[in-house]
Amino acid sequence: MANVNMQVNLGGLIMRNPVTVASGTFAAGREYNDFVPVERLGAVTTKGVSLNGWTGNDSPRIAETASGMLNSIGLQNPGVKVLREKDLSWLEKHDVPVIVNVSGHSFDEYVQVIEALDDDPRVHAYEINISCPNVDAGGMTMGTHVPSVEKVVSLCREATKKPMIVKLSPNVTDVVEIAQAAEANGADAISLINTLLGMAVDARTRKPKLARVVGGLSGPAVKPVALRMVWQVSKGVKVPILGMGGIMTGEDAIEFMLAGATAVSVGTANFVNPHATADVIDGMIAHCEQQGVKDINELIGALEC
Amino acid sequence: MCATGLLDEKGKVLSNKHLGRNLYLLTVESPQLAKLMEPGQFVHTLIPGMEGHILRRPFSVYATDVEAGTMDILYQVVGFGTQHLSTLAEGVEISNIGPIGHGWKAPEGCKRALVVCGGVGAAPLFMHTSEMVAAGIQVDVVLGAQTAEAMVCADRYEQVLGSPAVLATDDGSLGYSGFCTVPAKELLDTNSYDYVCCCGPEPLMKIVSRMAAEAGVHCQISMEKRMACGVGACLSCVIDTPEGKKRCCVDGPVFNAEEVIW
Repeated sequence: MANVNMQVNLGGLIMRNPVTVASGTFAAGREYNDFVPVERLGAVTTKGVSLNGWTGNDSPRIAETASGMLNSIGLQNPGVKVLREKDLSWLEKHDVPVIVNVSGHSFDEYVQVIEALDDDPRVHAYEINISCPNVDAGGMTMGTHVPSVEKVVSLCREATKKPMIVKLSPNVTDVVEIAQAAEANGADAISLINTLLGMAVDARTRKPKLARVVGGLSGPAVKPVALRMVWQVSKGVKVPILGMGGIMTGEDAIEFMLAGATAVSVGTANFVNPHATADVIDGMIAHCEQQGVKDINELIGALEC
Repeated sequence: MCATGLLDEKGKVLSNKHLGRNLYLLTVESPQLAKLMEPGQFVHTLIPGMEGHILRRPFSVYATDVEAGTMDILYQVVGFGTQHLSTLAEGVEISNIGPIGHGWKAPEGCKRALVVCGGVGAAPLFMHTSEMVAAGIQVDVVLGAQTAEAMVCADRYEQVLGSPAVLATDDGSLGYSGFCTVPAKELLDTNSYDYVCCCGPEPLMKIVSRMAAEAGVHCQISMEKRMACGVGACLSCVIDTPEGKKRCCVDGPVFNAEEVIW
């Protein structure tokens, strides 16, 4: 491989390269292992997990929209126990850091999920999901209001010493104020953006295209919004940022790093191209080689404006 | 369960023929998938040149030719993706992920099977029918279509069966006049089957599942839902079962009929 240093430090989580996956788009890596061995990733970010599992929302759960898609999966997951038995047992055979995405319907549930995992050495970091738009309790309802952000982040902080990333919603007026609240209450890193709340209508049937009516928009359509928010937040906090939103190529990922991200997540692109994560990593290396960049860390926040 | 042994095979469109109504037959170069596809499995296809329409589309495989290294996909134009697919010229390269999911499995010792197909549902059952005939199982096939013009699989089925399939059209322009459930029910009442398999619109599969259950015959159906990843990760294509949600893509697409809560 090239002589570019790709290693980054995301709030205490050492990643061999800056690329992980957006929670919920990659399961825990096994489903994509035929295309991308998980060891290639800087980290695996698991599907959001709640304490005892949730069944998720009714179907249809997705709709394709211009340069993107809406989803309203609703954090369907089998709970922490199954995550430990199935996913972490598979992941421990692979040399890759694991970020567990933590979900809850209540403040207590977030803490309980962390407590159920924290003694497990196979969990290297958490991503606290206070931004899912597809659940009626927890998720985005907690992450769009400063007092509840302060509360959930500080409670989670008390429950773990592991690196804790807090994942933010773009569905707010001032994302910087939310990011600062997370930072002030113990977040080691900020990830953004989760999906943008949207909807799609079938004019012929006069019905919404999603059973839940509204859902989260992702894919290239959201990239400009995501870049803007990563840039704004990077100006307002000191902790590192995990940037995501419509990354399809290595060049997209480089743009996020220039805007201030230390690491990036590939999400919807996995559905289009199952090799997307590997292609993004290769594309980032190629960019560095072409541009004479010896250390990917040089690019973090290197936007000239 | 999870997907294993998947590959992403890029191959050229060798032909893309309009068969009738909104139905097309695509033949695509796919030397590896042609060897691997089992009856009832499907591919997840990235159609080039779709601009803002970024997702793949799932397609069942109608037939494979291992020697020629090709796959046939019968598709119906239902939206932007399939409309665009119908415009692809020979030589255009497409990417197919496969083989995905669990296919049909005739029960052990099956002696006589009833195959019920609605519309393009005839495609994913064709290789299975061929396989059962080759295994010495007596197979009766009912093919339903809206009109005679949309009855595009009858010749291939006749070749495999050695005699014509039972045909039904909604408008009566060919064969039985009405839904294919009526001749299917007659066959089920008349003959002794140990296996029914059905693919087509959900209402058809629901009716056939019920008829098979009433007759006490094991039944399999093939489900389709809106799908994003196609490999079991995204949980978009779930259906309800007595054991909870299952993924159409890798837990199916073929399910035992009693597993599906309609």
